[in-house]
Amino acid sequence: MVSRGQSGTTPSRRDFLRYVAAGAGAVGAGALVTGCAGGAVRKAPVPSGPPRYGGRLRVGVVGGSSKDTLDAHTAVTHPDQARTFQLYDTLLEHDDDYRIRPALAESVESDPQATTWTIRLREGVEFHHGKTVTAEDVIHSLRRIADPDDPKNGAVGLSSLDLGAMRAMDSRTVRLTLSRPDVTLPDQFAEYSNGIVPVDYDPARPVGSGPFRHDSFDPGQQSLFTKNPRYWRDGEPYVDELVIIDFPDDTARINALLGGQVDAIDQVPLGLLRVLDADPNLRLLESETGSWLPFTMRVDRPPFDDVRVRQAFRLVVDREQMVRQVLGGHGRVGNDLYAPADPLFNSALPQRRRDVAKARQLLREAGKEGLTVELVTSPVAAGVVEAAQVFAQQAADAGITVTIRRVDTGEFFGDAYLSWDFAQDFWFTRNFLAQASSGSLPDSPYNETHWDHPEFNRLVREARATTDEARRRDLIARAQQIEWESGGYIVWGFPNQLDAHSVRVVGLAPDKSGIPLNSYGFRHAWLAQ
Amino acid sequence: MSRMLLKRVLLGVVILWAVSVVVFLATQALPGDAARAILGREATPERLAALRAQLHLDDPLWLQYASWLGDLLRLDLGESYSNGMPVTELLSARLNNSLALMVCATVISVPLSVLVGTYSALRRDKAFDHATSVVSLVLASLPEFVVGILLVLLLSTGALNLLPAVYVMTGSGSAWSDPVQLVLPTLTMVLAVSPYIVRIMRATMIEVLESEYVQQARLKGLPERTVVLRHALPNAIGPVAQVIALQLAWLAGGVVIVEFLFRFPGIGFALVDAVNNRDLPVVQTLTLAIAAVYIVVNLLADVVSLAANPKVRSAAR
Repeated sequence: MVSRGQSGTTPSRRDFLRYVAAGAGAVGAGALVTGCAGGAVRKAPVPSGPPRYGGRLRVGVVGGSSKDTLDAHTAVTHPDQARTFQLYDTLLEHDDDYRIRPALAESVESDPQATTWTIRLREGVEFHHGKTVTAEDVIHSLRRIADPDDPKNGAVGLSSLDLGAMRAMDSRTVRLTLSRPDVTLPDQFAEYSNGIVPVDYDPARPVGSGPFRHDSFDPGQQSLFTKNPRYWRDGEPYVDELVIIDFPDDTARINALLGGQVDAIDQVPLGLLRVLDADPNLRLLESETGSWLPFTMRVDRPPFDDVRVRQAFRLVVDREQMVRQVLGGHGRVGNDLYAPADPLFNSALPQRRRDVAKARQLLREAGKEGLTVELVTSPVAAGVVEAAQVFAQQAADAGITVTIRRVDTGEFFGDAYLSWDFAQDFWFTRNFLAQASSGSLPDSPYNETHWDHPEFNRLVREARATTDEARRRDLIARAQQIEWESGGYIVWGFPNQLDAHSVRVVGLAPDKSGIPLNSYGFRHAWLAQ
Repeated sequence: MSRMLLKRVLLGVVILWAVSVVVFLATQALPGDAARAILGREATPERLAALRAQLHLDDPLWLQYASWLGDLLRLDLGESYSNGMPVTELLSARLNNSLALMVCATVISVPLSVLVGTYSALRRDKAFDHATSVVSLVLASLPEFVVGILLVLLLSTGALNLLPAVYVMTGSGSAWSDPVQLVLPTLTMVLAVSPYIVRIMRATMIEVLESEYVQQARLKGLPERTVVLRHALPNAIGPVAQVIALQLAWLAGGVVIVEFLFRFPGIGFALVDAVNNRDLPVVQTLTLAIAAVYIVVNLLADVVSLAANPKVRSAAR
């Protein structure tokens, strides 16, 4: 941090971090005044009737920088993600309730062993340059993502693919033979990072089959898209042009929405929620999600290698207070389990509640009274640092001293990432098996708690190979029970996704995925008069 | 005088070199590297290794620095780590935009402040002088982001909806193509630098107006206009030039915060971005450019005060 009072005439001018905080506050205060001046806020009703065509939709998206990309398979930032949804289609997709449904593929089916899969493509879908989407394009895309020499974001999820055993049966049918049974393949095919690109794909000329075509792109600044007139979904998209504008700073993004320079923004900071809600021209879009902001305890290192310590830490959390203070009430409490949106989620387990006496007793039994731990936190997502502070206070009631070490995101995701003893992280909505494969198995790429429980591993692997849903439900229920009893995550809550848009924008709905603005679903948005 | 100039220019080059070393070491001291920053959470060991090899991040430090310096001497600023574009291409539009902002701010603030400062001095202790005093003190004590936010509240999102609150690129991407969007950032910068110039102008002018040669000029019966313009102003401008120089130099660096606030696509915005991405070639180029502005502006100020003051001019020989 830059210090104050340096030489020169302007001591506090370069005091950068303070600016961000004070800026957001000042905007909030000022806008609140103007918001209240109008008395009770009456918003225009949501327009009914048929969607209106035409116009230019301008969207402000958090983050973005000069490393922005249009590549279908390497999105990192939110603007990257937002662009991916416009340019490319996936074989399957998640609906607003996070259920999987067909998209580019009419069907994706497996044999009873879940090792041979058949993808049947929709007929007559065209890429932006006029070529029809065929089985060859699907094979090329999967090969590009899982390429062992240059793996893309989706490579880990597709690790069960046998790249040499992908066959085009005819122009619309692909047959995949997996190296191990995997029922999570449909989950992977519905991930936005696994879009289908043509065989002649070149990221410098980003061609997909999505609702919008690429027009211009200035990394870190903005990108312009035009309507794909031959899009395969009837009637969509409605707007002629779409501009996605990067906003690394919250204040600028909010000001742009308040000033009418953009029609929609993602990620409304909690502190500014009431300000935006008080504006008659704006509407909030709030979605319950399965995103989670866990505390991560390394189960293979002291003090958390003792399950009693992990249990004590889970018991010390006042989850309602967390949701109230960290999320301003915009969220739901968690039960130390992820994947609440999964239809197979084990909801039979009792909700864990705060029990300080029990926590103290467990610590005493473990010989860890008066324990001091360091919690590594970083603003990797909204609410993470605040959650660390609230946790430290709550843990103090059980005689635990939590020293908070705040690092910047670069350091957090740096060389020590995934090896902090006690830290935090954030995850979007995923179904149980897909999430467990990403973070809870010994060979998972993001096993931040170093969780390696033989029975859990066996249950997850067996569930991944079980096509019978009732049987899979049992296996998952047992795996989740083990996790609930002795896992290394503290899953205290699921924050809601909060976005905002002008009352003119119609067609965006709440969405469980945790991906902002209805999974950046601008293809079904339209502009009212 | 020309010998002194030559010495100062050489010294400037040495300072620039020192800056480049410090900045290089400072960026190395930041946790993480460009490969980590670019891949973010998607940084699997295989992808990290591939990217590091591609960017030569595994080379020893001295070699990385030497190759950068070598390229620089051949006037090659290298390529951005983040997106592979040549730095010159990446930054020329940004530099142009920042320059637009700085030129607008300078052209408005310098004559305006000299005028207001002089007038205050002439109307010493009258209502205008008091008002100027209070306003300039208040503005000088407010950091420019507060000024900027208040302007946004007043003119675009709150009371009035006259001007765009943030900069959103239209058309060609050059800031000159859409001057309306330049108004708020320029106004913020003008309000940030003017108070200091006004205050020093007033103080110096008062001092000069009380001096014996001005008395003498008045006693000779010269019109007040001539007294002020011919006799007082040239003598007051020396110290003022120094402060103006400091303020202009500040513009080069301070533009960072104003650009961030208004999301203005200039060098300040690019610098924040480059530091976050550990994009060394871009960071080096920008800091050197800003340092060069400091050096040149200070040099110019010295030349102006020398030219304006015969005593100093002869003493420097």
